[in-house]
Amino acid sequence: MTNTEKNICSIIIGEEIKYENNSSEVDIDFKIQNDHIFGKIDILKSSKKFLINLSNVKDKKFNLELEISLNENSFLELRDESDYEHGSDINIRSTMNKNSIFEFFRLNKFKDSTKNTFNHNIELALNCEFRDFNFSNGSNEMDNKTTVLLNEENASYIGSGVMISNSTNSNNDLSIKHLSKSAKSDCSFKTVSRGNSNIKFSGKVFVDHDCSKTISNQISKGLIMDEFAKISLIPKLEINNDDVVCAHGAASGKPDESVIFYLKSRGIPQNEAEKIYVEGFLGEFLDKIPNAEMQEKAMKYISANC
Amino acid sequence: MLDIKNLNVSVEDKQILRDLSLKVGSGEVHAIMGPNGSGKSTIAHTLAGNPNYEIISGDVNFNEKDLLEMDPSERSLSGLFLAFQYPIELPGVTNASYLKQIVNVHRKHRGENPIEAGDFLKLLKEKSSILNIPMDMHSRFVNAGFSGGEKKKNEVLQLDLLNPNLVIMDETDSGLDVDALKSTSEAVNQLRSSNRSFIIITHYLRLLEYIEPDFVHVFQDGSIVESGDKSLANRIDKEGYA
Repeated sequence: MTNTEKNICSIIIGEEIKYENNSSEVDIDFKIQNDHIFGKIDILKSSKKFLINLSNVKDKKFNLELEISLNENSFLELRDESDYEHGSDINIRSTMNKNSIFEFFRLNKFKDSTKNTFNHNIELALNCEFRDFNFSNGSNEMDNKTTVLLNEENASYIGSGVMISNSTNSNNDLSIKHLSKSAKSDCSFKTVSRGNSNIKFSGKVFVDHDCSKTISNQISKGLIMDEFAKISLIPKLEINNDDVVCAHGAASGKPDESVIFYLKSRGIPQNEAEKIYVEGFLGEFLDKIPNAEMQEKAMKYISANC
Repeated sequence: MLDIKNLNVSVEDKQILRDLSLKVGSGEVHAIMGPNGSGKSTIAHTLAGNPNYEIISGDVNFNEKDLLEMDPSERSLSGLFLAFQYPIELPGVTNASYLKQIVNVHRKHRGENPIEAGDFLKLLKEKSSILNIPMDMHSRFVNAGFSGGEKKKNEVLQLDLLNPNLVIMDETDSGLDVDALKSTSEAVNQLRSSNRSFIIITHYLRLLEYIEPDFVHVFQDGSIVESGDKSLANRIDKEGYA
């Protein structure tokens, strides 16, 4: 299976749900009941990578319950690049069977005045890889919660979150549970807090007793741009095995004035210098994104929202 | 081109520059030598507009404009360039992208269109080859992980790309090995012209053996205590500052 070969499907969710699935390798079923959307995506097998573009075009609150299942050796790339105009409540449960790969990209813009919640619980079996990338501008109230269960050997999680906001009160919780040996996790969270935003990130890594050869890295960084902006970064580690490599780091602060001066000394005005600085801060880990197209989109997202 | 009159500057409430006066004419190369802590870098950062340096009193006229009233970016756009002693790292921004942005901000100031990607690449190749800078350095983040020599060459490259008329080089020779010092000095010598002036801040004679100064000033306790021609640098090299 190569990255360039893809089956592609689009699911557009408005007052009705539109999708066309011509592949026998995936089973997709979406329905609306009492203003709630219930969806199911089963990747039965994949001779090629399966790319699903999920779009929200609803003109009212978006409520979604989604179940995702990846069969053995399958590969799903799920993208949501929607603008959320009316708030949302999304709950996803994913199950990955052995040797499967799941790439999940969320590049969303939320309206300031709305409330949005997102919950994702995902379980990984032997040799599975979950790659999770989330870019958000926050909303008035926002809760993001992702729980990753690395149930079997060599399961791995790599994830990056970026939040850039002027006026959000947001909680971002990531919980990674190493429940089998030789599993890996690598998480980065970066945020830029402006105006009166209050952005919290809690990253918990749990390593169970018999999980030797665990490798886990977690880094969270925040930039506080204005006087009333707040950032709270809380790494939590609970490690119950000695044969592990686990690292974590968290740092937040104001922009480095020496960098801004350096840029200004080259003719770049203050506002552009700050923009370049913020873009660099957020763009530092874009090379973790595994495909060039999404790297480019992430870069554009950052540039447009800085 | 540059006229500094009775300049007094403090940093964190400690006065560093004391009644400094200096005139730099078009095309002249002035070397400023002095022991550690004498205030040499303070001149450089004050002229470039570093907000950590507070002007107590004095005047600086640059090309008939009041330099001290100008923002650091305006100073750059007006033709002043500081080659930093400790160039700043900018993670997440590739050197090529950064260099293109600084070129374009100067083009915009001159009323020109942004440079085309192909033309910029050609320009970058041409300028980099003069300084023996490999092109793959430009795909790395600005100054992040660069060696001391690479950082200094990158400063001189920016100087070449921006085409300023007053260049302040703050200990550009520190961190350069013999070969890098030679190639960097050759590049600087190629940039000397009748309408471009240099203030070269250095501890050592060795840089001035490659870049011949018109004037040498000895700096101590925040002001110039002696001025002369290159023979003054030779004497300091033999006898020291004491």
